[in-house]
Amino acid sequence: MTLYLLPILSLTIAQPAPFKDAKVLHTFLWNSEVVSAVAFIGNDKVAAANRRGDILIWNLPASGDKTPDPVRRLIGHTGPINRLLVSPDGKTLLSASNDRTVKFWDALKSDGNPGTIVMNDGYVRAGVTMGVAKIPDPPPPITAKVVEQKPIREFTGHKEWIWGLALSRDGKTLATGDDAKQVILSDAQTGAERRRWKAKHWVRSLDFSPDGKLVVTAEHFPFLRDGDSDVGLHGWDAQTGEMKFDATKQFEASKVLAVGPTSFRFSDNGKNLAVCVGHIDRDGPAGKVFLLNPATGAKVRELTPPHIRGATDLAFHPDGEHLVTCGRDRAVKIWRLSDGMQVHEISLAIGDKKKQGPFTPILHAISISPDGTLLAVADSSGQVVVCTLEDRKK
Amino acid sequence: MVSFHDENHLSRRSLMKGLLTTAGGMAVANWGALTHSQSIAQEARRAGKRCIMLYMEGGVSQIDTFDMKPGRPTAGQFLPIQTNVNGIQVCEYLPNIARHADKLAIIRSMRTQSVDHGIGGYHMHTCYPSSQRFPHPEIGAMIAKYCENPENDLPSFVKIGSGSGIYGAGYLGPQYEPFVVSDNGQLPAFANPSVSADIQDRRGDLLNFMEQRFAEQRPGEPFAAHRTSELRTIRLMRARRAFDVSEEWTRARSRYGDSTFGRACFTALKLIEAGVSFVEAGHAGYDGHNDNFPVHKGNLQELDPAWASLLQDLQERGLLQDTLVVWTSEFGRTPAINFQAGRDHFGRAWTVVLAGGGIRGGQHYGASNRDGFEVQENPVSEGDLFATIYRTMGINPRVRHFLGSRPIWATPEGSRPIQPLLG
Repeated sequence: MTLYLLPILSLTIAQPAPFKDAKVLHTFLWNSEVVSAVAFIGNDKVAAANRRGDILIWNLPASGDKTPDPVRRLIGHTGPINRLLVSPDGKTLLSASNDRTVKFWDALKSDGNPGTIVMNDGYVRAGVTMGVAKIPDPPPPITAKVVEQKPIREFTGHKEWIWGLALSRDGKTLATGDDAKQVILSDAQTGAERRRWKAKHWVRSLDFSPDGKLVVTAEHFPFLRDGDSDVGLHGWDAQTGEMKFDATKQFEASKVLAVGPTSFRFSDNGKNLAVCVGHIDRDGPAGKVFLLNPATGAKVRELTPPHIRGATDLAFHPDGEHLVTCGRDRAVKIWRLSDGMQVHEISLAIGDKKKQGPFTPILHAISISPDGTLLAVADSSGQVVVCTLEDRKK
Repeated sequence: MVSFHDENHLSRRSLMKGLLTTAGGMAVANWGALTHSQSIAQEARRAGKRCIMLYMEGGVSQIDTFDMKPGRPTAGQFLPIQTNVNGIQVCEYLPNIARHADKLAIIRSMRTQSVDHGIGGYHMHTCYPSSQRFPHPEIGAMIAKYCENPENDLPSFVKIGSGSGIYGAGYLGPQYEPFVVSDNGQLPAFANPSVSADIQDRRGDLLNFMEQRFAEQRPGEPFAAHRTSELRTIRLMRARRAFDVSEEWTRARSRYGDSTFGRACFTALKLIEAGVSFVEAGHAGYDGHNDNFPVHKGNLQELDPAWASLLQDLQERGLLQDTLVVWTSEFGRTPAINFQAGRDHFGRAWTVVLAGGGIRGGQHYGASNRDGFEVQENPVSEGDLFATIYRTMGINPRVRHFLGSRPIWATPEGSRPIQPLLG
């Protein structure tokens, strides 16, 4: 009997753990500012944006090749960029900024004016604190040759910082949300405003349900002081702007949302709705991640263990079975949706993983390539990290 | 409203004030230089000045408020807007304050020494470094001592919220300790008496009678200090309604902003109006090491309507000329933006703003350099700032006190009032 079972057991054990070989492939250095947003363009290009309003695009090298320089610089924003998004057809890159605009860029165009950028022209951050007696000398410049491009159009319907950015799955309708609590739906091609309504607080993130009928908003009015924050998780009828659900109240007693939701998204199959919190840094396991009922907003499951100090972004894996999150603890966590188990963690810790504190650079945003094999991370330390999510030996 | 002209009230107050003077005299004598400081106090009281200090807890960013650097790498995420004074710009999230720039003296060249919260809070409340390990009084106590109205039943030094730190009256003695109320200006529950006013009065009279007999035999300092506190408490109980702004707040809320700090500013106005010499209102949450910009933006949206409405109401009530409003913090924040999109502690070149009290508004004083890393002209120290405030209040900045036989001055040696700001 035992002899018959052994082959079955060994088969089970041999089943590869998902994402067990996920690891860092490339690190693109861009020590100019905080890198705040990232998006894949197809499976072979990565766009990243920073707090100065710059966008750079890198062509991903073949495996084993040396880390490349960026090839394109997108010029036009005059304020920090909060979100990047690629249209469902892969042809357009969208960026939302504190300059109150959403800009549309040709994601695939390769020509433009030649230019040179200094990759490390920001201030040296280390040491420019407290009672410093002398400003550190700037490091020698690191330059790169790029093609400079301008936006193909822009949306100017907002009067405040724009953090909420989403496209309907058919790519026709743009949803945007700002710090004046305004949610605006507009025609993604013409920019014509279709409707607007007011959320309860500053909009940090929003998304369309896959059928386009619902818009969800994650809202937060931030304070540093404890217990004095204003938070909202709401679902709205995309046709009328009428509130369909308020998912906030179920969390009020536990105050787990107090540090502010950062990302709120539907899975492409419409079966899952996820939110993560960590807009403001907080000691301890503040970076909660929740799965909610996509129709009612009711909590389905909390994913544990949470990120330490805050969770900053999330993305559903194209396989429909996994969720990826990143956080202030410099961890990328991969979760199985069916049971909420964490199946893998990629640590980008600086030094001792347990000593990542309030002064450690954080991971701001993530993006997964359409084929699900690559992950890009916007790292506030001034770099973009690209990881493989598959076993490259296969 | 509390009536301060009630005949019966006055007679009782006169009785107690007489006792207080005796008790206070005995107490102060042990802290020294009574004669010297009394003459200064008389002069300061004649000036009739009062002071409100708006204290930004955690360290407010100068570049994100009054010393903006548009176009520079240190500019951060906010844009400047024009004010009602040509040449003065402020942050876009201070639109109401922008309409009062003609009242503001903006000191953009603060250069201070203590750049962490505890030591910075102490230094910016006393103008001395905490490393001296000497019981310096905080500014509210000093102003209370010299500017208090002896006819007023209210405490002379009120601190709304304790988040900015309580540094105490130090060598000035316990009668100038701050009276601390909650963040929104409301009195603690124990301040509500459990018995009627008549019974309180009878109990107070009995206590006075017994203690006067007791004190005749025991003229020592501890008893005097204890008695002073008792008398202050009794007087406060009579005037406690001055702290209850609930009714008026329902009308003021829309202008001051529906926030704890808004209510604190409105309470400060009412206390100043009722004769309190010094009120400090703290606004928490400026320590933006992480995500400085959304955090400052949120805070400035609370600060702006509250501060602007306070200035407006002081002006409309004819109180601004005699009420100095100080906007300050323990330090500023770094021009450089760190990897958490934050700004860290910074004392080398930051900003404090003064208004009212006879200060010449509508001007900048001093300047930081192009990117804000250093003072470019007219550096101002903690002592210089306090000397300016004291001079505005009618207090000699070099008034001398004694701790035992040791002399100590209100501001450190070399401190100079900023003359161009003085009216």
